Amino acid sequence: MKIMVCLKQVPHQDARLDVDASGTWIQEANIKFEINSYDTYALEEALRVKDDTESEVVVVSIGPDRTTQALRTALGMGADRAVHINDDEANGSDALGIAKILAAVAKEENPDLIFMGLMSDDGNFTAVPPMLAELTGVPHTTAAVGLSRANGTLTVEREIEGGATEVVELSTPCLVAVQTGLNEVRYASLKGIMAAKKKPLDVKSVSDLGLSGSVGAASAKVSIEKIAPPEKGDSAELIEGSTDEIVGTLITKIKELGLL
Amino acid sequence: MGSILVVTEIQNGEIREASYELASIAQGIASGSGREVKSLVAGSGVGSLAEAFASKGGGTVLVADDDALANYNVDGFNAAIRAAVDEADADLVLISNTPSGWDVAPRVAAGLDAGFVGDCFRVEVEDGSFSFHRRIFNGKLDAKINAAPGKIVATIQPGAVAPFEGSTEGSTQPLSVDFPDARVQFKEIKTSESTGVDLSKADIIVSGGRGVGAPEKFPETIQPLADALGGAMGASRPVVDAGWLPHPYQVGSSGQVVQPKLYIAAGISGAIQHLVGMKASNFIIAINKDPDAPIFEVADVGVVADLFDIVPALTNAVSEAKG
Ligand SMILES: Cc1cc2nc3c(=O)[nH]c(=O)nc-3n(C[C@H](O)[C@H](O)[C@H](O)COP(=O)(O)OP(=O)(O)OC[C@H]3O[C@@H](n4cnc5c(N)ncnc54)[C@H](O)[C@@H]3O)c2cc1C
Ligand SMILES: Nc1ncnc2c1ncn2[C@@H]1O[C@H](COP(=O)(O)O)[C@@H](O)[C@H]1O
Repeated sequence: MKIMVCLKQVPHQDARLDVDASGTWIQEANIKFEINSYDTYALEEALRVKDDTESEVVVVSIGPDRTTQALRTALGMGADRAVHINDDEANGSDALGIAKILAAVAKEENPDLIFMGLMSDDGNFTAVPPMLAELTGVPHTTAAVGLSRANGTLTVEREIEGGATEVVELSTPCLVAVQTGLNEVRYASLKGIMAAKKKPLDVKSVSDLGLSGSVGAASAKVSIEKIAPPEKGDSAELIEGSTDEIVGTLITKIKELGLL
Repeated sequence: MGSILVVTEIQNGEIREASYELASIAQGIASGSGREVKSLVAGSGVGSLAEAFASKGGGTVLVADDDALANYNVDGFNAAIRAAVDEADADLVLISNTPSGWDVAPRVAAGLDAGFVGDCFRVEVEDGSFSFHRRIFNGKLDAKINAAPGKIVATIQPGAVAPFEGSTEGSTQPLSVDFPDARVQFKEIKTSESTGVDLSKADIIVSGGRGVGAPEKFPETIQPLADALGGAMGASRPVVDAGWLPHPYQVGSSGQVVQPKLYIAAGISGAIQHLVGMKASNFIIAINKDPDAPIFEVADVGVVADLFDIVPALTNAVSEAKG
């Protein structure tokens, strides 16, 4: 079984988010990056398949130089091989552009299973997985919170509203986008990190994949005009002061509500 | 001239509220963009629902009525939406960002080689082209997205706008769809079993988020305040995902929707999926050390401070006040 895991490196969840000079993205200098939270669950699920069925796990990421670190971490956790699409020509791609690049990689790799995250923590597009499935012609499902496998058939519990789930079945080759909490994600062991240094990490360009001129900013169908902190609506009354003063005000409010 | 296609969704035998919200957006931008409103009602035995929708903002309603659409399945709905886009000559397709919406919409976009914008809360038309407003970084920033000319598929956040209220003249028309074999088979819906933590009955809820930082801090810091107030403890999703608390404690779109008299959120940023679970609370106090945290947008009172300074002190003060 061959499993492709698509992962994105995103700003750390506690990173400061300052808008950059272009007004279209955040300042990336001096902040930490990490593997997209959803994608860690996707990778873990792939590694679990590998733990009980002889499999090859290939991690794929599109991003600049810093992305190497995310791929090395994934190799340290137990992935076998990494493919890094590192090319300025990919910059400014919309979700469809990203899906086209990943589809070209999927065509070369021909995986039985593709695991991805439901959503990226930075762009929050929730778009690439169903697009990649359509472009590669395989069935897909999203928001997996439970997954079992028997003879090439996957039974997936996908999250719907109000704490309920919907059970669906699909057969390999297929693509599953996972929700957070699907499993308990392992850490890279020291031994794993050492071994990762020797694992193959291929760097490819957009033209290596035969996509020159068809992805990136120029071919994007949607683009960010500007980003900004959310407009302040009628927001909270902010209370300030010493801890004692703040607590005093809160007690007054709770008493006014008749709850004390 | 193209059209704006509203893709409705049926839930418990009714067209859901979110679909009327799509109708409201479509009606609002139709004339400014020189386009007509058309809709798709897809399901099994949905003729009368389609009639009703046509007279409530749906415009020309295309009706895909087939057993293959009795339950959500991506292949069937993808086929129905694609057929509707062709029939309606739609260049803007609006779909609600619900579990079925986010599952099918990007697939439709890729099949059409169209642009896609997800989870928008506002759509505008300027000089005939569309722009979209949406949150990024889990609610911490807003983005304005411009679309190049051509077809666009957009999903809309449920609850972002008021549903369409007026009555309109519309019509219905059957839509024929070539259904492929469903490769993703629907089996069943599982509802969560109640496990004793019923937050919906609590008058006061004190919830902790990822900012609480460690599992032991819940019994040490959050639970004591809930106990002092005679309320219940809740949590945001990352707390549950990390296994710090079991799922019944989760408040939000994929947890419990609560409406207590008082909701205290500590170390919770205020992503939309959390907000939909608690914003109807009568009074909201948010404690967060980031002054820009979106939770302050829905809070009545905001405290910009370290929760580990405020929560224990508040717990003591509540205990004292109760004597
Ligand atoms: C389909 C779907 C369904 C989802 N369903 C839900 C759901 O039901 N419920 C839910 O909650 N989420 C849900 N989410 C996840 C949601 O998008 C957010 O990721 C999540 O709500 C963030 O949780 P948080 O606010 O605890 O964490 P974060 O966003 O990481 O926020 C932590 C906050 O703590 C603050 N903080 C840190 N330390 C301190 C301190 N010492 N004192 C004070 N403040 C501090 C930080 O400033 C920050 O604002 C869902 C997502 C998806 C895609
Ligand atoms: N640059 C990227 N490289 C690799 N995978 C990606 C990239 N962007 C998105 N993905 C995958 O698509 C999923 C959904 O992301 P999105 O549609 O951007 O919200 C992520 O969880 C990843 O699995």
